[in-house]
Order: sequence, then structure tokens, then C-alpha cells
Amino acid sequence: MSVEINIPPVLQAIINDNCRINTSGATIGECVEDMVQQYPALIPKLYDKHRKLRKGTSIFLNGVDIYPNPLSKLVKDGDKIHIANIILGG
Amino acid sequence: MATNTGRVLRINLSSGKVSTETVPEGIARDFIGGRGYGVKYLYDEVTPDTEPLSEKNKLFLVAGPLAGTMAQAVSRWIVCTKSPLTGAFARSVCGADFGAWMRFTDYEIIVIEGKAAKPSYIHITTDGVKVLDAHDVWGKDTKETQSWFVSQHGSNTRAACIGPAGENLVRYAAVVSDRRTAGRCGTGAVMGSKNLKAVVITAARALHIADPDAYNTFAKEQVNIMKNDGGFQSHKEWGTTSTQDITNAIGIYPVRNFRYGQQIGWQKLVGAEYRKLRVGDMGCYSCPARCGKVHTVTSGIYKGAHSEGPEYESIWAFTGTIDSDSIEASIAADELCDDLGLDTISTGNTIGFAYELYEKGLVTKSDTDGLELVFGKNEPMVALIKKIAVRQGIGDLLAEGTMRIAIKLDKGSDVYAIHVKGLELPAYDPRGAKSQGYNYATASVGANHCYGYSAQDIFGAPFPRATDRFDEDNADIVIYNQNDTATNECGVICAFAARWGWSALYGKLLAAARGIQVYEDEAYLVKAGDRVYNLERAFNIRQGLGRKDDYLPGRIRTEPLHTREAQGEGQTVSHNDEFLDKYYSLRGWSKEGIPTEAKLKELNLAYVSKDINK
Repeated sequence: MSVEINIPPVLQAIINDNCRINTSGATIGECVEDMVQQYPALIPKLYDKHRKLRKGTSIFLNGVDIYPNPLSKLVKDGDKIHIANIILGG
Repeated sequence: MATNTGRVLRINLSSGKVSTETVPEGIARDFIGGRGYGVKYLYDEVTPDTEPLSEKNKLFLVAGPLAGTMAQAVSRWIVCTKSPLTGAFARSVCGADFGAWMRFTDYEIIVIEGKAAKPSYIHITTDGVKVLDAHDVWGKDTKETQSWFVSQHGSNTRAACIGPAGENLVRYAAVVSDRRTAGRCGTGAVMGSKNLKAVVITAARALHIADPDAYNTFAKEQVNIMKNDGGFQSHKEWGTTSTQDITNAIGIYPVRNFRYGQQIGWQKLVGAEYRKLRVGDMGCYSCPARCGKVHTVTSGIYKGAHSEGPEYESIWAFTGTIDSDSIEASIAADELCDDLGLDTISTGNTIGFAYELYEKGLVTKSDTDGLELVFGKNEPMVALIKKIAVRQGIGDLLAEGTMRIAIKLDKGSDVYAIHVKGLELPAYDPRGAKSQGYNYATASVGANHCYGYSAQDIFGAPFPRATDRFDEDNADIVIYNQNDTATNECGVICAFAARWGWSALYGKLLAAARGIQVYEDEAYLVKAGDRVYNLERAFNIRQGLGRKDDYLPGRIRTEPLHTREAQGEGQTVSHNDEFLDKYYSLRGWSKEGIPTEAKLKELNLAYVSKDINK
């Protein structure tokens, strides 16, 4: 199952300026796990010390905010995931 | 169920006449409230020949229809007027308690007309309205001023006031309430031009909504959603005190008057460093986020400086603009601006401009009262803030804002003046977030980051679709963001809170508050936002503004951005004309940026056409 994860600008710099990563998995959580295996530098940026998504990290599936519990959502081949940190601003 | 369209309090300071009226239902249906009411009343009552700082201009303080209720993060309020910085439509949003206090007295709009013969303040209670002598507080800072009002009128008193900057007609003076400001566009100067120190309200809590039972049901639902939202929890923890971590990392933190997108040593300025000086937090009425983070400086030359803030924009205004890495100086500068009643963004941007003029030899030590405006040095910045507020020495020139400074100085200084329509750019470099930049270019009020914030470019938000932040072909996204903001500001809900998962309840809350069920239709609300935006545009067109005023500063369009270690090195925003062509076309405007008759008719604004399609 091939799923594309789109990375927000602030995280692109730590993965060689890549803005999207191809992953595989049956759920969003598995896809994200596949991504951080490819790019371990993302682990502390995405997860807290309990390996839960950091507060304020939003996950969108095919453009739709899938809060709450985004990591458990099922995905299918060709889906697109977006990670965003839209908590800030000012 | 009776509708509640809102009551208007009208005070003429020249004649002393006070009157009240009810907002007609037709206006409520079309404009909802808040910013919608602000532009509608301004358009109808302030004529094109009105000088912004004259007796003829009017000041509209507008609370939202949801303010002062148990719903969360909806009690902000708006100031609308004709701007002394831009000559265009002005809207400036403020927090704290004042919006709720307006609603407790059952007023949604306070219209201030004319000019008082001597320094005065307006005191509003449920028993009536008085215009009183402000002699005791004229010249005082906003902290002392507000304390004095409480001492005179009791602890159930809140004020929207000006500091010395407003009294001295600094063109970017703010209206201040508690420690929050209606900062942008010079609304404080308009208040000062009327010899008005403050609008003061003494009131006890009271609800004025059409359907309290339905409203409370939706409000409880909103609270439950919000408190579990990750964005809310993060905002509660940080406010906006860590946004500079992201903007530096991605190369859009403007440094040295918009020459660089990343500050050397920016790691000294990250949110975690500000947190070390945090001593508390403050919030607006009925909002548990308490996003105003309070800091105290504990050592060094700024020891004792204490401010609710700085938040992100003010952090940048007093670091990046002059390339200072002093957190302490930024706290001191922020406190001063709030005390003196200055917009931090325009103040910081203007000071960064002055530093570059000094670097280029266009102003010298003899012009600056002996101050050496050398990038990296923060003491002159703090000194300049005090001079600007009282128009002392070079402060008199700087109080005019970058556009007018460049006109007065000439000598090619306009190249370094970073503004749109006269309003100074805020803390996101357009060359690395181009939809944000084009929002600055086309926003009704000039360069304002909150007029259509591009979360797509900056944070990777994929709604309504994802963007490439270096792409200039996102006119649809700019329009979406601007209209969405206008829609939310009709209810004057907090821009942050709007993303905390409860947006589906917004229309229901509005409908229950007003007793106008059509607000529950999301498409209806979106159209209302579009209507508000178009009426603002019509106001500006009637003033003589147009396509020529929708361009980003020359530096942004022609000088490559230097991002140091971040992406985006060498970027410019170079397709302003092509962007405007597409943006106008999608908006239903002519090639010159004028709303067409067909567009106005679609929005029930046909009556405007005669004013702008001549």
C-alpha cells in the first residue's frame, strides 16, 4: 500500500529539503512509522517522549482533518497524508 | 423568538449629543456583525473627502455578537475608521475584556463623532452615558490611565484608551485595553484627534442573546471540543512565543529591514529561551488559552522590564528588524509600546527602516539626536520608541510611518521603506511565503498578516488545498484566506481559536445569538465574508486607491532574499502583475481592481456601484 506523506516547511530542512515521502502501511500510524524509519531525525519533531504525536501536530488525510486519533485511521493505496503545524502564527 | 441585531450607541463629542438606535435587520442579515458592521457603517457615514485626523472622521468600536457569553474565545472587538497611515479602510482587532463589557451594556457598536473641546473620556454604564474631563490622565501612559479609571469608577470598569502616542497623533498609535492593543492602522491617532483619552465602561455581567437555551447548548459543545484539541493545548502552553523557531528555520524571519530571512544566532531567540523569563500568563474574557505570556527581565540594563508579551510579531519587531539578539530588550520595548500606546509592528518596522537609512548615510548622527543607529545595537531602538511617542527630535519624523518618512526625506529613501498602502510589513518575508505576501499586497488595510494568513505556505496546512510556498500562482488561496478571515471577524472570534475544531458550531452560535437562522448555512456565511471584503474594497476605490496600491515593496519584488542556512535563497516576488490579473478576475473585479456591477449585484451591494464605477 503506497501512501504519500507531505511534510511541512519547517521539517523539510532536516530531511534534505524533501517535501514529500513515499511510505507504506495499513494505517496512518504505520505510514508515519515507516517515514521515521527512513528519516529518524523526524522522531523528536513528531513524537513526544511517550511516542505520541506532539501537541499541535495536525494530520490531514486527502485534505481532510481527521482529528481525533489520526494515527489509527486506515489508509488505502494512493492516499495522501499532510502533516501540518498550524498551531502557531501571531 | 425576537431577533437581536445589536444596539448602537452614538456620541457626538462636538455637540455632546448622545443617541441610541438598533441595527436594522437587513444590515444584520447581510453583514452579521463585527467587521461587517464596521465597514457597513463606515462606508455609509464617512465620506471620501474626510481627512482621517479631522473632526469629520468617525471611530467605530464594534463588539462581536457572541461577546460576553459563555462561549470561549469569542469576546474580541474591533476598531474601524479611516486610517491616518493609509487613507484607506482601517480595521484593528483587540482582545482583553472590553468587548464583553460592551455587550454587558447591550451595545454592539459605539460610534464616536466630532471632536471634544478639551481632553475628555466617555463613561458608559447601564444608567447612561457621560462625557467627562480627562485632564487627570491626559499625558499618562495606558497603565496609569486604566488604573485611574478603576479608582474613579470601581473594579467593574474596563477601558479602551490611548497613551501619549495617540495624544500626539503618531500615525501608528494604538487603542489599548488592559495590555492588549487594537494596534494596526493608527486607530489610536484618530481617537487622539478627537481629544478622547478613553471609552470607559462600568457594568456587571448581563446576557443579551436571542435564544439563550440553544446558545448555551452549542456553547457547552464548543467548550468540550476545544479543551481536547491539540492546537488549543499547544496555544495554551506557548501562545505565539515560539513562532520564530519556525520562521527562522524556513527563512522567512525578516532581518535588517527585510534583507535576510534568517537571523544569525536565532537559536538565542527561540520560544524556550523566552520561556525562561516567563512569570505568568493572561487571557481574554472567557478564554482558557491565556495565550498572553508574561515576561520579566531579571538582570542587565533592562532589569525590571515586565510585559504581557512580547508575542511573535513583537518579538520580531524588536529583534529581527535591527538584528538584535536581546530577548531582554524586546521585552522592554514591548512594555514601552503598550504603555505609550504604539503599534509594535509599525514601530519596529519603522525603526528598522531608520537603522538602514543611518547605515546608508541618508540620516546621520546630527539627525538622530546623537543616537548611533547601528544594526545589532538595541539601546537606540528603545530610545527611539520614547521619542516617537512624544514626537521628540527624530521621533517627530519617525511618527509619520515609513511611507511619509520616505516622501519627506526623499534622497532615494523610498527603496528602503517596507510597506503596502502605507502600512508597514509584519514578520513574514513574502519572498519565502508568497501567498502570505500577496495577502499583504491585496489586503484592504495594507500589509497585515492577519487579513488572510497563509497557513498553507507557512505551516503546510492542506486546506482548501496545499501550496508550494515559493509559487506565485495561488490567487485562489489568497482569496480563500481573506474571505475566511472576514467571515470569522463578523463574529469577531479569535483567529487562533477558529482552528480549534469547533468551526461547525460557529454558524449555530451566531444564529442563536441573533435569532437569524440563515447564519447556520455555511455557504451563506462565506458569501457574507466576500460581501464584507468587497465593501471594504469599494471604500478604498472611492478613496482613489486601486491597482497601483496593490504592489509589494520594490525590495521584495527585485532584491533576492538571503536565507543563510534555510531554503529560499535568492527568491523574489516577481510576478505581481500576473498575480493581480488572476486575483482580480477570480474576485469578479475589473482589470483595475474595481468590483464589477455584476459582482456587486451578486453580493447585494448594487447600491455601491454608482460610487466606484464612474
